[in-house]
Amino acid sequence: MEKLKKDFPIDWEEDHYVSRREFFKFMTLASGGLAAGSAGMALWSQVPRQERRFEPVMIAKVTDLNPGKSLPFNYPRATDICILVQKPDGEYAAFSRRCTHLSCPVDYEPDNERLYCPCHNGAFSLEDGKVLQGPPPHPLPRIMVRVRNGEIWAVGVRTNEESA
Amino acid sequence: MKRQNLLRHRQQAVVFVSLLLFNLVLVLIQLWLFVTVLENFLGGHIAMAIPAAVTSLVILGLNMWMLRGIEKIERAS
Repeated sequence: MEKLKKDFPIDWEEDHYVSRREFFKFMTLASGGLAAGSAGMALWSQVPRQERRFEPVMIAKVTDLNPGKSLPFNYPRATDICILVQKPDGEYAAFSRRCTHLSCPVDYEPDNERLYCPCHNGAFSLEDGKVLQGPPPHPLPRIMVRVRNGEIWAVGVRTNEESA
Repeated sequence: MKRQNLLRHRQQAVVFVSLLLFNLVLVLIQLWLFVTVLENFLGGHIAMAIPAAVTSLVILGLNMWMLRGIEKIERAS
């Protein structure tokens, strides 16, 4: 009976009493939890996870494109619209066509050597997809392409998570 | 002697409560930092993650230092 009384005190004050030191300890523990969470997020932010490989898909033949021209295609799913551009120097660059602002399709502007979103005047660099102007908050995801035997293949998606 | 003890006890209580309030403010700052960074993180902005983590760890160190001080005060009394 005595043990029961000790384990389950019926005195309200005794039952719910938390000393200042205990409260301070609890707050320090909460502080530790928040610090651990913040440190976890900082570590997570350093993990490279920008590149995602998908099943390679042949998107065009080298002869289908000329320098300064572009070609729309879908990758990795049929609903993911992308654009392949052959720059004036002959190099290929492919990006997702969905503007990172409100998902309008972007177009290639050969005169300005950039990808342009007509909805809100957003523009992206052809070099790395970074935002050049307008409201888009993030760069365009880049589609990694390889040229094999005269064919252009999409092999993965690289997301640049840095903000504009 | 008794009066001196009482005054000392009161002084300790004031120090204790002040530290407790300071601790509370620091934890609230940490909470605010955590929520802000989490919100930015989910939005793809990671630039603030490391400075916030460093600040949070410094605050944790400060809180632990104060807790140690309080335990010392209690042991001394």
